[in-house]
Amino acid sequence: MAATDADLGAPDELTERERDAVEAQLFRLADDEYIQAERYTFWQVRAPTLESDLAVANNAQDELGHARLWYDAIQQFGYSEESLLWESEPDDFQHSTLVELPFSEGDWGDAILRGYLYDVAEEIRLAALEESTYREIRERTSRIQGEEDYHVEHAENWLRRMADDEEASRRVQAALDRLYPYALTLFEPVGDIEEDIVDLGIRDATLEEMREEWEERITAFLMDLGFEVPDDAEPATPTGRDNEHTQHWHDLHEEMVSSYRNLGRHEATKLMDDE
Amino acid sequence: MNIEEVKQQAGPREFSPRDDLPREYREAATRMLEFHANSEIMGAYLERPFIRKAPSLERKMAFSAKTQDEIGHGQMLYRAAESLGIKTRDEMLADLANGDGKFLNCFHYPMERYVETPMIAFFVDGAAMRRQATLKSSSWEPYAHAMDKICFEEGMHVKHGESILRELMSGSKKEQEMTQEAFEEWWPRILQFFGPTDDQSTHHDFAEQVGLKTKSNDELRNAFLNTYMPKAEKYGLEIPDEPRIRDNGDGTYEVVEDDLDWEEFFTVSKNEYEGSKQQIDSRARAQEAVQWVRDMLDGQATTGDGPTPQAAD
Repeated sequence: MAATDADLGAPDELTERERDAVEAQLFRLADDEYIQAERYTFWQVRAPTLESDLAVANNAQDELGHARLWYDAIQQFGYSEESLLWESEPDDFQHSTLVELPFSEGDWGDAILRGYLYDVAEEIRLAALEESTYREIRERTSRIQGEEDYHVEHAENWLRRMADDEEASRRVQAALDRLYPYALTLFEPVGDIEEDIVDLGIRDATLEEMREEWEERITAFLMDLGFEVPDDAEPATPTGRDNEHTQHWHDLHEEMVSSYRNLGRHEATKLMDDE
Repeated sequence: MNIEEVKQQAGPREFSPRDDLPREYREAATRMLEFHANSEIMGAYLERPFIRKAPSLERKMAFSAKTQDEIGHGQMLYRAAESLGIKTRDEMLADLANGDGKFLNCFHYPMERYVETPMIAFFVDGAAMRRQATLKSSSWEPYAHAMDKICFEEGMHVKHGESILRELMSGSKKEQEMTQEAFEEWWPRILQFFGPTDDQSTHHDFAEQVGLKTKSNDELRNAFLNTYMPKAEKYGLEIPDEPRIRDNGDGTYEVVEDDLDWEEFFTVSKNEYEGSKQQIDSRARAQEAVQWVRDMLDGQATTGDGPTPQAAD
C-alpha cells in the first residue's frame, strides 16, 4: 500500500510540520480513551449486577491500557506522564466533551449508549489509522482493534435488550437526545492542522468522512431498534477538541490529581519494572 | 447424614452438594460464605474512590483491576454459598443492601486519604490472606475450591498494597508522617480483624468441629503479627504503644484486649456504627438506582423473550 510505503520515520526524524500533525492525532486518541475510561470506572461496584460490574471494569481497563499506549507514543516527543496527566491543567486536554460528562446515578442507559456512540466512532477512527504513515500509530492501532470490536458488540447486545423494554428504551432515547450533540464533537477539528493529518497520511480519512460513516452506521442500527436518531443536530459547544471544556471536566480533573497534589508528588509511579 | 456423622467425617474438601448434609451444617457454612462474599463487595466499595484518585496511570489501572477482582471473588463466593440451598444470591445481596448482611469490621470505616489505602491493601488484605489460606482446607468443597483462585489473586493485591506502602514510606517526610498517622488510626481495627479471643467467639467451636474452619482466631492473629509487625517496622512504621502487645517469646503474642474498643467492634459488627451506615446506605442507594435494569433482566429471563439471552451482561 502506498500509505505504508511512505513512512514518516522514527519520532526524532520528523519535520516540525509532521511532528505537529502526529502529536495532534495522538493527543485526541490518548485523552479520549483516558477520560472515557475514567467515567466508566464510576460504575465499578455500582453496576446493576455483579456480571455487568465485571464487564464495565474490563472496558475501563481496556481503555486505560489504550490510553497508556497512546501517552507512551506522545512521550517519545519528550513529554512525561507527570506533565501530561498530573501537573497538567484541565485545558491542556483535547478529549471530546462526550467523554467528560458525568453519569447521573442509576443512568445505565446513558452508560451503555455513550459506550456505543463512542466505540463505533473509535472503530472507524482506528480503521483510518491502520495504514498510518507513522509507524508508532500503525502498530498500536492493530494491537487495540480487537478489543474495540468486543466493546461495540457488548454495547449492541445491551441496546437490543433495552429496546425490548419500555422503561429502558425511554431512558436510552432520552440519553440519545441528550448525548448526540456531544458525540458529534468527536469529529470536530483541533485547528488547521487537521488538513496536514490527512495530507501526510497519518490518518487516511477526513473528519467529515468519518462522521458520515458513523452517522450512517449508528442511525441504521438504532433506528432498526425503534429509536429516533436526531438528524439536524449541531455539535455541542465547547467541543473539547479546542481545549475548551465543560465545568464537569474541571471538577473531574481536580479530583483525579488530588492525591498527587496532596502528597506533594513530583513523580508518577511506573509499575512495569517494579519488582 | 446427622451432625455427629458430619463431625466424624469432617476433613478438607470432604463435603459437596452431592452430600445430604444437616441443616445446621448448611446454615453455618452459608453464614461464613455470605460474610466472606459480603466482605469482598464492601471491601471493593471502600476502595473504589481511589481508582479515581490514584496518583499515577498504572496505579489507577491496578486499583481498577483489584476492585474488579474483589467483585469476581464475591461472585464466586455467593455461588459457593448458594450451593448450600439455604439462601439465594439475590437474597444475600438484598440483605447486604438493607443492612442485615454482615461483613468485616475494617470495611466499615470510609477512607478519605490515599495514605490510608495500604492499611487495607497491605495489612487487612495480608490478614485476610492468612485466614483464606487455611480455608483451602475447609470441609465445604465449593468454598475450598473458590479459595484456590481467590488466594492467588489476593497474593497480587497484597503486593500492590506493599508496593504503595513502600513508596509512601520512602517518599517525602510529609508522606511518611501522613502514612504513620493513618497507620496509628488503623492499627487497632486491624488487630480486631481476627475478632475477640477464642473464649469470646460464639460461632467458632461448631465451625471448627465440622471442619468449616481449621484455625482459631488466636492462631491466625499470632501468625499475622509474626509476619506483619516486622514488615511494618521494615518500612519504617512505628507500632503504637497501645494497644499493648505482649511477646510471649515463643512465636506467639498476646494482645491486651482491654486496650481495644470492643464496644465499637460490636457496634460495627451489628452494622450500627456511623461508618457502617454510610457505607451500606450509599452503596444501597447506588444499587437501588439500577433496580430498573435488574427488573428488566429478570423479566426477560422469566418470559424468555430477551433478544439475546446469553450475551448482555
